[in-house]
Amino acid sequence: MAELKKVSKKARNSAFRNWIYGNLTCFSQEHMQTFGYLAAMLPVVDELYDNDDDKVKALSTYRTFFNTEPQIGTMVVGLTVGLEEARANGEPLDDDTINGIRAGLMGPLAGLGDSIIVGTFIPILLGIALGLSTGGNVLGPLFYVVVWNLAMYFGMKFAFKQGYELGGSAVEALVGPQSAALRSSIVMVGTMVIGSVAATWINITTALEVPFSADSSLVLQDTLDSIFPKLLNFFFVWFCWWLMTKRKMSPTLVMGLLVIVALVGVLVGFFNPGLSY
Amino acid sequence: MGISVIQAVLLGLFACLASLPGMGGTTVGNYTLGRPLVGGLVVGLIMGDIQTGIIVGASIQLVYIALVTPGGTVSADVRAVTYIGIPLAIRAQGLDAWRASRAAGLAASLGAAVGTLGTVLFYGTATMNLVWQGIGWKAMDGGKWSTIKKTIPMVDFVLPWISHIAFSFIPCVVICMAGESMVSLMKDYLPMDGIAMKTLFTVGSLLPAVGVGILCKQVIQKPLDWVTFGLGFTLAAVMGCNLIASALIAVFFALINYKIEQLKTNRLAPAADAAASFDDDEEDI
Repeated sequence: MAELKKVSKKARNSAFRNWIYGNLTCFSQEHMQTFGYLAAMLPVVDELYDNDDDKVKALSTYRTFFNTEPQIGTMVVGLTVGLEEARANGEPLDDDTINGIRAGLMGPLAGLGDSIIVGTFIPILLGIALGLSTGGNVLGPLFYVVVWNLAMYFGMKFAFKQGYELGGSAVEALVGPQSAALRSSIVMVGTMVIGSVAATWINITTALEVPFSADSSLVLQDTLDSIFPKLLNFFFVWFCWWLMTKRKMSPTLVMGLLVIVALVGVLVGFFNPGLSY
Repeated sequence: MGISVIQAVLLGLFACLASLPGMGGTTVGNYTLGRPLVGGLVVGLIMGDIQTGIIVGASIQLVYIALVTPGGTVSADVRAVTYIGIPLAIRAQGLDAWRASRAAGLAASLGAAVGTLGTVLFYGTATMNLVWQGIGWKAMDGGKWSTIKKTIPMVDFVLPWISHIAFSFIPCVVICMAGESMVSLMKDYLPMDGIAMKTLFTVGSLLPAVGVGILCKQVIQKPLDWVTFGLGFTLAAVMGCNLIASALIAVFFALINYKIEQLKTNRLAPAADAAASFDDDEEDI
C-alpha cells in the first residue's frame, strides 16, 4: 500500500502566507476573496498531486465564490488544506462537499469576525492607543501596531492549524450525518449575528416630512420608528438580498441601482444627509 | 509649507498599501496602515512633524473608531481620509503644534469629503481588478498547470498594483500636490447641499446594505431563515444589545438547535458514532 500523503510544513506555511497577505489584494465585487483562496491552495495542490491534470482539477474546486472576514477565515483555508490532503489520500470528498463546507462556514464566520475582530477588538485596541497618544505621543500608534499585528499573526496561525487538524482528522464529523446538526447550528449563529449587524452598522434614515396644515406635519422617520425601529435598514438589506438571489444581479449592478435610488430619493426629498463643510 | 514631490510620492505609496483591498494585505495594510491613528504617525514622519500628525490622526480616528465594512462594502474610505486629509490639514495649518487641534478639526471635516471621493476610487480599483481576474480565469480554463502556477500569483499579488497606481497613487499624489486650491475648488463646485454631494453621501449610507445583503445570501436558504435574522435584528434594534451580547444569545439558541438536530439524527442512525463529534462544536464557533 502506498504511503499516506501529507502536506509538508513548507507548503502549509506558504499557503498560510499567501492567504494572510493575499486574501484581498485582487479584490473585486464579483469574486471578492476567490483569487486569494486560489493563491493559497496553489502550493498545497501542487505538492499533493503528481500529474498536472489532477492538479488543475483539484484547484478548480476553489474557483467557487469565497468571501468572509478574511482573518477569522484563515481557519477555513486551514480546513480545506486538511480536506484536500484527505482527498488526495482517496477519501470520498467531492467538489460539492468541500464547497458546501466552505459556503456553510463563510457566512457565519463573516458575521462573527466582523463583530468580534473588527467591531470589538479593534475599537478596544484603538481606544487604549488613543489614550496613550495624548499630545501626540508616539507610544499610542506604536502600541496599536505592535499589539494588533502580533495578536493577529498568532491568532491566524492558531486558526489555520486548528482548521488543518480538524480537516485531516475529523472529515467524518464534517461530512457525516452528525455534521448537519453542527453546520445548521453554526449557520444559525451567523444568521442572528448578521441580523444584529444589519441593525448596528447600517444607518438609513429618511428626511421626508409631509405637511398636514400650517403648523403640523408628519415626520415619516418617527412613524417608521413607531412601527419598528430601523425599519429602513431591514428593508434595504432585504431588497439587496432579493436583487442578488431572486433577480440574480451581481453586487456591482445592485450598487449601481442604489446610486439611482439615492439620486431619486434626494430629488424627491426622501433622503437628505444634511451635512456641511 | 508645501508638499514636495518626494513627500507626495511616499504618501501615494502608503495610500496603495493601506487601501481596503490594499497591497499591504488586510492585517498590515488596511487594519494597521489604514487606521488614521497609525496613518497620522506615518504622515507625520513623511511631513517631518510627528506630533501634529498623531494629534490630527487621533482626532480623525475618533470619528471612524468603529468603522466596519460588512461584506467588503466601503461607505467611507478611511485610507483617503488618512493619506489625503491629514497631509492637507497639516499643510493648511503649518507646523505650529499649538494649532494642531484646529488642524484636527479641519482634517475631520475635510475627511468627510475626501473619504467620499475615496469611495469612488475604491470601486474603481475593484472594477479594474476584474480585468486581472479575467486573465486568471483564462489560465484556469486553459487547464495547463505550468501556466496556472505562474498566472495565479501574478493575478493576486502583482497585477493589482496597476489598479492601485491608477486609482490610489495618482489621485493621492495629484491632490496632495495641488493642496488647498483643490479643496476650495471642490467646496465651490460640489457644495454639501447640492444634489451631487447629497446623493454621494446617501449612497454611502446605503452601501453597507449591499454588504449585509451578500452575507444574507450566504446564510439565508429558506424564507423562515428571515425569522432568525429578524431575531438578531430585533436584539440590536429594539433591545439595544451590542454584537457580543447578540452573539452570546445566538450561541445559546444554536446549542438548543444542535441538541434537537442531534436527537433527530440519533433516532435515525442509533448508537455507534453518536458521541463521536459531540465536543467539536465549541471550537468551530
